Amino acid sequence: MRKRIVITGMGAITPLGHNVREMFDNLIAGKSGIGPITRFNARKFPTTFAAEVKGFELANFVKDASRWKNCGVNSRFAAAAAQQALTDAGLMPENSNVDRTRFGVYLGSGEGIQDFNNMISLIARAYNKETRTLDNPTFEKDGLKYFHAGHESEQELHTTPAHLADYFCLEGPNYNCLTACAASSQAIGEALEMIRHGDADMMLTGGSHSMIHPFGVTGFNLLTALSTFKGDPTKASRPFDLHRDGFVLGEGSGMLVIEELEHARKRGAKIYAELTGYCSTADAFRVTDSHPEGRGAIACIAGAIQDSGVPVEKIGYVNAHGTSTQVNDRVETIGIKSVFGAHAYKTPVSSIKSMMGHLIAAAGAVELITCVESMRTGWLPPTMNYETPDPECDLDYIPNKARQAKAEHCLSNSFGFGGQNTSLVVSAFHN
Amino acid sequence: MVASSRRAVITGTGALTPLGNDAATLHASLLQGQSGVKKITNFDISALPIQIAGEIPGFDAKNYVDKKDRKALRVMARTIQLAVSGAQCVLNDTKVDKAKLDKTRFGVVYGAGLIATELPEMADAAVLCTDGTPGNVDLDVWGEKGLGVIQPLWMLKYLPNMLACQVSILHDAQGPNNSITQSDVASLLALGETFRLLGRDKGDFFLTGGAESKINLLSMTRHCLFEELAHDPGHPERACRPFDKNRDGMVIGEGTGVIALEELNHARSRGAKILGEVLGFGAAFDQKKDGGGVSRAIEAAMKEAGISNADVDHVNAHGVATKINDRVEAQGIHKVFGDKVDVVAFKSYMGNLGAAGGLVELIVSLEAMRTGQLPGTLNYETPDSDCPVKVLNKPRAMSKPCVVKVGMDQTGQCSAVVVRAWKE
Repeated sequence: MRKRIVITGMGAITPLGHNVREMFDNLIAGKSGIGPITRFNARKFPTTFAAEVKGFELANFVKDASRWKNCGVNSRFAAAAAQQALTDAGLMPENSNVDRTRFGVYLGSGEGIQDFNNMISLIARAYNKETRTLDNPTFEKDGLKYFHAGHESEQELHTTPAHLADYFCLEGPNYNCLTACAASSQAIGEALEMIRHGDADMMLTGGSHSMIHPFGVTGFNLLTALSTFKGDPTKASRPFDLHRDGFVLGEGSGMLVIEELEHARKRGAKIYAELTGYCSTADAFRVTDSHPEGRGAIACIAGAIQDSGVPVEKIGYVNAHGTSTQVNDRVETIGIKSVFGAHAYKTPVSSIKSMMGHLIAAAGAVELITCVESMRTGWLPPTMNYETPDPECDLDYIPNKARQAKAEHCLSNSFGFGGQNTSLVVSAFHN
Repeated sequence: MVASSRRAVITGTGALTPLGNDAATLHASLLQGQSGVKKITNFDISALPIQIAGEIPGFDAKNYVDKKDRKALRVMARTIQLAVSGAQCVLNDTKVDKAKLDKTRFGVVYGAGLIATELPEMADAAVLCTDGTPGNVDLDVWGEKGLGVIQPLWMLKYLPNMLACQVSILHDAQGPNNSITQSDVASLLALGETFRLLGRDKGDFFLTGGAESKINLLSMTRHCLFEELAHDPGHPERACRPFDKNRDGMVIGEGTGVIALEELNHARSRGAKILGEVLGFGAAFDQKKDGGGVSRAIEAAMKEAGISNADVDHVNAHGVATKINDRVEAQGIHKVFGDKVDVVAFKSYMGNLGAAGGLVELIVSLEAMRTGQLPGTLNYETPDSDCPVKVLNKPRAMSKPCVVKVGMDQTGQCSAVVVRAWKE
């Protein structure tokens, strides 16, 4: 028989709260974490708002915050969320009685934030407008002088999971995948498979990311992926609404402790839910667009549900990728309808990105945690700002008001730029 | 550990490296003791303290990619161009008829690193919004005018998932797709994950490996700041000295290494040549920097493979040539093998190929299996008591069926893969 894998700890740093409960209460209350960008002067960018994590102090979460001083926000958010998840799972302090060599890390954590001001000013100093070339030695000398070695090193893509493993003494397999907006969902799925296979007994998994910085907003604005909504920024993220015009950037981290059921039982851990299904596919279509008929999304949703062994009629809630872009929300709706058939119309679907924006690599982890809390509390979060129905998006999106409903199984979708699709199924735990 | 009944065999290789653009050329260069580490020539690096690297001479992705797909190269940084070129090399080598592949069972898992922006792409925007004072940028001007002079698809050219995505798009690979971003151990972890995917029946045919080039203005400048890089002793070919007492850091290289990993019956039914079989995989974190993680990764891989020390022809080491990392790795290898098994470190010839390194080095061992000739380690002259392993420093004949490939990075992330020469 296949091993059963359960969730025994959760932590979150998000625009709507610095722990899971606060975040979930705010989601159920329909609150928005979106406001004007304060991290840098964005007032002349096409997009001037985002969902920022507010008032975050790492020292409130870990003992020696100075250890993390060179780290960017990815690692800092991750450290705080991981500390919460491990504490929640009854695994802190560090000498708690589990085999650390059987405890791994698999994150979908983002790239570090580049030193925009130095980079741009140093490029300008080295640039010859007449010849349209860069004088390399000028840039090299300036770079060596003005870039901060510690901060530069922390931009590398493997640093966050390495820090967590080092700090929390997690000596099992250590992975990071960065599959754009699907990253942390895919990390959770592969972490699940590692335990199923026996590569580890426990995994710390999830993601952490912020792209609320000048290069991030520049990049997404150039791709016209971000909402440029004029008016109250809390109304900008409008998943499935006819007038949706792009996503809103968010930031933060979601972390989970997952472990093999017998292992959890033996140590008397509380069990939040069972992770039952996972699938990952590729659209193999275009770097900029989803496949118009949802080819990859359909295969992915169907694959995860099949992996879980749950009949589609028993899926009580779909936490949508629901980015609020025209294409995603239309194609995701096609995907759900294709797999769920007539039952699609009876299945509540919502996008919490309407309230906390898109946490990019970290989105999937926070959304899976939301599913767990939904099952635990019997409340499904709404899709806010749903005002004008789109004929192509005709499912029950839990418009504008949370709903009391008992879901036994939830599906969480994440689809990334480049065509990577990941779906997870999480189920209420029964012996 | 659940042993899978589905056997994973290697049916093709692709390698673009400083020492050759296919497995046979690369292997032959190593046997002859050639070095790919040279003074950097493709751009002016005169103001950096380190000016050597392992460059691929004359790489042009247009030589590898189908004519109809060449337009797409414009939105690919050099690293991504290497990735798609390497993928094409494997597909040619394994002689697969793509039309006959079940595309939903065709997966792509790549290792990737941080990809540096080509700085001139930002220059027109940069000069608009700074007076030249370091650190001083007028974001109002950037937002208002700067964005207008940057290519709209700029960001997509540098995303680390685009290696695997672009390969999947060019070849309609709709199966599992992942991008592992674990620095120098990324491609070996990608191979490990592919081995698991294949074992649990998520696909029959996979391209797995990695690609990376840090030989550009921004990456070289950044890495000079925080990486332990080998100094040029006047002889670039002697700079990278894994496990040698006088090693003083890594040499940056570039390349791609990709293999086709295929389910045995799938390979048989299409009459594919089989180079080797992946038997076991392990990964761990070396938190205490004492080799414990390295040895656990090796032991897990060997246990799954069901082999003993006597089956191992050689350990193909990470051997990055930094002071601490080589010590940690050697101690880990020593815990398992003592000084009884030959250790080779192919970075000595071409530097650290980053996310591509593990697979390029494994491809050398595959070629050694095929030809029977194993290259030694270059520049290993003075043993170091901190590195208690038996480093092979001249070629010899292969005598045993299995290779253990070890990979790690500076933070302690490590993995090991066991590959056996093919036998029915």
